Amino acid sequence: MSMAGSALATQPQPQSQPAPTATPGRMSRLRRALAERRTRYGLLNAAPVVVYLLILFVYPIFSTLLLSLKGEEGGWTLHWYADAFQGANLEILLTTLRISAETSLLSLVIGFLLANAVTRLKPLWAGLVMLVVIVPHFISALVRTYGWIILLGEHGVVNNVLTDLHIPGAPFQLLYNEIGVVIGTTSVMLPYTVLLLYAVMRAVDRRLLAAAASMGAGRITIFRRVYLPLVAPGLVNAGVLCFILCLGYYLTPALMGGPKQTMVASLIDDQVMKQNQWNGASALGIILLLLTFAGLLLLRLLKSAGEAYRKRGTAS
Amino acid sequence: MPELDVKAPKITRPPDAGTGKPLSVTGLRKTYGGVTAVDEVSMEIAAGEFVTFLGSSGSGKTTTLMMIAGFCEPDSGSIVVGGRDVTRLAPQKRGLGFVFQQYLLFPHMTVWDNVAFPLQLRGTPKAELRRRVGETLEMAGLSGMTRRRPRELSGGQQQRVALCRALVYRPPVILMDEPLGALDKKLRDQLQTEIKRIQRELGLTVIYVTHDQEEALVLSDRIAVMRDGRIDQFDSPRELFEVPRTPFVADFLGAANFLTGSVEERTSEHTRVRLDTGGLLTARPLANADADGGRVRAAVQPGRIGLCPADTGFCTGTVETVTYVGTLVRVTVRPVGGADTDVVRLELPAGRAPAPGEHVGLTAEFTDVSVFPDPEDAGVHPDAEHRG
Repeated sequence: MSMAGSALATQPQPQSQPAPTATPGRMSRLRRALAERRTRYGLLNAAPVVVYLLILFVYPIFSTLLLSLKGEEGGWTLHWYADAFQGANLEILLTTLRISAETSLLSLVIGFLLANAVTRLKPLWAGLVMLVVIVPHFISALVRTYGWIILLGEHGVVNNVLTDLHIPGAPFQLLYNEIGVVIGTTSVMLPYTVLLLYAVMRAVDRRLLAAAASMGAGRITIFRRVYLPLVAPGLVNAGVLCFILCLGYYLTPALMGGPKQTMVASLIDDQVMKQNQWNGASALGIILLLLTFAGLLLLRLLKSAGEAYRKRGTAS
Repeated sequence: MPELDVKAPKITRPPDAGTGKPLSVTGLRKTYGGVTAVDEVSMEIAAGEFVTFLGSSGSGKTTTLMMIAGFCEPDSGSIVVGGRDVTRLAPQKRGLGFVFQQYLLFPHMTVWDNVAFPLQLRGTPKAELRRRVGETLEMAGLSGMTRRRPRELSGGQQQRVALCRALVYRPPVILMDEPLGALDKKLRDQLQTEIKRIQRELGLTVIYVTHDQEEALVLSDRIAVMRDGRIDQFDSPRELFEVPRTPFVADFLGAANFLTGSVEERTSEHTRVRLDTGGLLTARPLANADADGGRVRAAVQPGRIGLCPADTGFCTGTVETVTYVGTLVRVTVRPVGGADTDVVRLELPAGRAPAPGEHVGLTAEFTDVSVFPDPEDAGVHPDAEHRG
């Protein structure tokens, strides 16, 4: 806040209003800034947000962090973190990463195809399709997940159709394994990817593609050299967001997965509800948070790598 | 505006001149839901010729261009470029160049990459690609900014890059859709000169679309004046100006004065018209030979009318306004016996300006006067009224 104050204080002061010069430098600048009407109103406006964030965001995170570092007999320890990276717990972490990656990839692919199709529709139809994509999001994830369970069960609609079509191997095991988890989670993530990709694709000037065609570029070249680079930032954003959301996702994997598809969120649930083990759960929570940060870092790295690549491409 | 726009370096050597190919369009037609946008347009364009489609919006000029480019398919007719029928080919198979009004540079590529793109598509060897991109950019005065992105350039620079991108692969015909429409007047003039210079030096065949008469006159070898999906007249600027075939052309290019009257005498050399204001005006023979010598409209450009003593000449009137425009004076004269709305506009050398209120006679050489039959539908475009 002192930063904000001093930034505002650089405004010239009227001569007639002598500033308190008792302590020169930073302090006097701050006091002068606080005396200004703009600063006072600014602080007043910022206060509710600051209080809100402190109570509901900063405090819980710090107490979780403290909890994850506390030993069972008091004192500080990294024991809980070591635990999380051992044996079954480590496997669950890796499973979480794997399922998140698979889900992100699938929802990116489906989201790309869907968003791309929607951008080609007339505005009215595009609006309708987007509604169909988004409205399920307003329905409880629990209801949707049970819907999937009914659809994908051994005698569910999907398997019945496949059996009637005499697809070899049908009925398939589509539930309580990784396929089930990925299908269910993808359907939950799809609205995010579609919305993000649709926004980026809408912003692409279609006439650029016509321009490329006029120069002799075929469909595939236009897609690869013009369209894809223009929507790439959206793909990266959507992929990373989807990945981050999957990392902490609980409901669908818990209901549609088998024992091998236990994800970190389920493990936390297990530790708190069954073992009353808050410290271990806190450590897992902090690990998820760090993974999320890692995801965001990856996003930035990818962006700067893309910039560097383009710069290199120019130096011909 | 960055100073880099101001002057382009002189070209050292034309990379390869005379690359333009002839183009012929026959019976081109396009309707949109019952509305005919382009109606039986036919034209022959020679190699190295600069042709402009001139017309107001809705005249079919852009639709014709889009059909030549391949962005929209004609209902009937054919397009032949350099002996090859391209009527049903996709745009990317025609090999033409296109410069858009909105530049449409690839935002994710640098200036260099934008210009290199069409050559990369053609698998041009690296050394040659480098030479040609470099030469083309140099010709357009862009050598210093090859590594910039389009968004870092001014509008004029962006359009130069777009021009380079269309030139670099030496397309047989370059199509331009109001390429200077988004630029301010000064920049437009400067780029016109540059486009014309490059077109001459490289012998390019260019088809240019604009609604700006002045631009068309400055740039073109020939102008196709379009109206309601048809070509009214396809001639050199001089012929369009001096021998307009329709009242629309007379008005659209020269902002002609129109005087109504009846034919009094027709010979093979001239037509005498008894004007409604009473005077007798001698004009060129009626354009349409079998038109009955009844009601006609005579068209005279403001610059081709002179002053003479009152009660001589084809018309007498009172000077209403005198406006100095540099070396010229714009004068309006209200003819005696004319309707309230009829004034005759003149452009005189500044030294010969009459005084407002003065009684003057008007005179014109008969070779400067065109006559057209006067069915009211001979349609002067409504836009014509707004021009100064």
